[in-house]
Amino acid sequence: MRILIVEDDVSGAEVMARGLSDAGHECIVSHDGAAGLESARKGGFDVMIIDRMMPCLDGVGLVETLRRDGDETPVLFLSALGEIEDRVTGLRAGADDYLVKPYAFAELIARVEALSRRRETGSVLTQLRVGDLEMDLIARRVHRAGREIDLQPREFQLLEFLMRHAGQAVTRTMLLEKVWEYHFDPQTNVIDVHISRLRSKIDKGFERAMLETIRGAGYRLDA
Amino acid sequence: MPDKRDAPVGGLLRLFRAAPFRLTLLSLALFAFAGAAFMAYVYVAAAGEARRRTDAEIRREADNLVEVYDRAGAAALNTVLVSRMAGERRFLYLLLTPDGRKISGSLARSPVEGFSGEPTWIRFSLSGFDEDGRPRSIPARGFQQRLPNGGVLFVGADTGDDQDFIVTIVRGLWGAGALVVVLGITSGLLVSRNFTRAMTGLTNVVASARNGDLTARAAVRGAGDELDQLAEGLNDMLDRLDRSMSAHRHAGDAIAHDLRSPLTRLKARLESALLDMEAGRGDARQALRQALDDTDGVLRTFSAVLAISRLQAAGEAPNAVVFDPAGLVGDMAELYGPLCEDKGLEIASDIAAGLTLRGNPAFLAQALANLVDNAVKYTPAGGAVMVRLRRRACGDTEISVTDTGPGVPDFDRDRVVERFVRLENSRNLPGAGLGLSLVAAVAQAHGGRLELGEGPGAYDGSGPGLRAALILPSLT
Repeated sequence: MRILIVEDDVSGAEVMARGLSDAGHECIVSHDGAAGLESARKGGFDVMIIDRMMPCLDGVGLVETLRRDGDETPVLFLSALGEIEDRVTGLRAGADDYLVKPYAFAELIARVEALSRRRETGSVLTQLRVGDLEMDLIARRVHRAGREIDLQPREFQLLEFLMRHAGQAVTRTMLLEKVWEYHFDPQTNVIDVHISRLRSKIDKGFERAMLETIRGAGYRLDA
Repeated sequence: MPDKRDAPVGGLLRLFRAAPFRLTLLSLALFAFAGAAFMAYVYVAAAGEARRRTDAEIRREADNLVEVYDRAGAAALNTVLVSRMAGERRFLYLLLTPDGRKISGSLARSPVEGFSGEPTWIRFSLSGFDEDGRPRSIPARGFQQRLPNGGVLFVGADTGDDQDFIVTIVRGLWGAGALVVVLGITSGLLVSRNFTRAMTGLTNVVASARNGDLTARAAVRGAGDELDQLAEGLNDMLDRLDRSMSAHRHAGDAIAHDLRSPLTRLKARLESALLDMEAGRGDARQALRQALDDTDGVLRTFSAVLAISRLQAAGEAPNAVVFDPAGLVGDMAELYGPLCEDKGLEIASDIAAGLTLRGNPAFLAQALANLVDNAVKYTPAGGAVMVRLRRRACGDTEISVTDTGPGVPDFDRDRVVERFVRLENSRNLPGAGLGLSLVAAVAQAHGGRLELGEGPGAYDGSGPGLRAALILPSLT
């Protein structure tokens, strides 16, 4: 993936670029909003990571300008401002996701990959398929290798999110945000317990486990 | 404290500069103008009225005399005139023969020059003396007409009394005007002194706040007027500011307190990992992992402290919306369900439908999550956790979490709700104490409170349990 990083904290941007490059992505870094806008206008990015507070042109202004120009590249906002209203203003400006500093690096990678994926699967789906796991979004039924799996409504939502992001790491915070719509850090292992329930339903009795735990990051559903 | 540096002159000067004093002077000037117009009107009206009255009396007397003449002739008229002049001397008379010689009368000659024969009114002066015996000229009016026999009858009256009456009125009006001016200035001074004193109090409070002292408060005089409203507004603002400042101070203290030990631990871990690596012994990975976990703990504490201090500083819930909390509470019970089952706890919920409250759902969810989290953390296996949403009889909304854990002793309940207080026996558990502080801060920001009480009592060998309730005010 080609990623544009617009971040005025030079060493922070450097660490981020190195980490993303290690994960196999190509990174271009700008250190202020004006330079970021110039780079962004050259196009060709899959995702942009934009810091909220920057000199010259701040993140909100930058994203608003890009969206006005018709640039629909997914944007992840980084911000030290974590209040709900800050998140709301950020998303309203046209950002697609919002990550509060300080963040875990695994969280950043997971969200960046989720954003790039979102663009690819923009069309309305009625069926999801990951390996031998099939989900019918209309009938709300799940089968693995032809065997029907009985899921609670929340488990269904959880699996749907994992299937939509198959092959990518998803973090506990992402799951809490997207599946339960709560915006706080899960203090205990609440999410893990839900995952292990789901895992026992979809993986138990099958030769290969699909739902993997990634240490320090979260979970990944693999075909 | 009000500042006493001002010398009396300075005080007076300030008084004159005071807005209400200037307003008083302005209204006084307007009033004086209106008063002068009023006086002029009274003067004109009174003078006109006095003249009309005198003229009417003169006319009636002249008519009476003409009637005497018509009835009884010139000789009788003369007799009447003589007897009138001997009596009260209200009128001035003059009776002339057709060729202009005086027959009788109190005037030596007619003041009417070149009498045409037409009835004529005239204004003239008499010479007389004032009360002190000094000669003065007395104003008079008269009416002259020709009698049927060709003779001339003049009837007049001294209008000096009328004049005196008018002068008295004018003098009285001047006196009243002067009194009004004096009273106006005095009341202006009094009003502006009161105002200036109140304003000085407010100004001093503002000045000391500007110099960093947030403890000064403006006096509210209890009059309930704009100045009192201003003072109350100022005091309220200072309260909030003070609260916010002390919240920040406390947050600083708390951050220092809560972060110093984990940061020290983190540093030690990294140092020993580095030493191990340099010495080529062991695997540093484990130490680094633990260091990362420590960092997460530090960051979590940091965000909790930050959230608490922000809530306390704001004094109200940001981005509040009106919503039905049933979904939020139900989802939370559902979110924690599997965790409880894994820990061997029974979780139940009792959720009233159709309630509405005003608040920030994210903060309330965080607060409720902290309560459920605590309950799950402290309740031993075999126990139960109950999440409940209901409306209290007084209309308040209550979201409570009851567990069958050890509970919090009565004497510690108030303390755990205080800012950043942790019970000794929970100090080694991560996040405890701060969790409840955050709940309390969320409750306060919503105009409510966190109530801690006893749970259901002894339960399967443990208890008495804790009942933590978020009490939120009803919408109305």
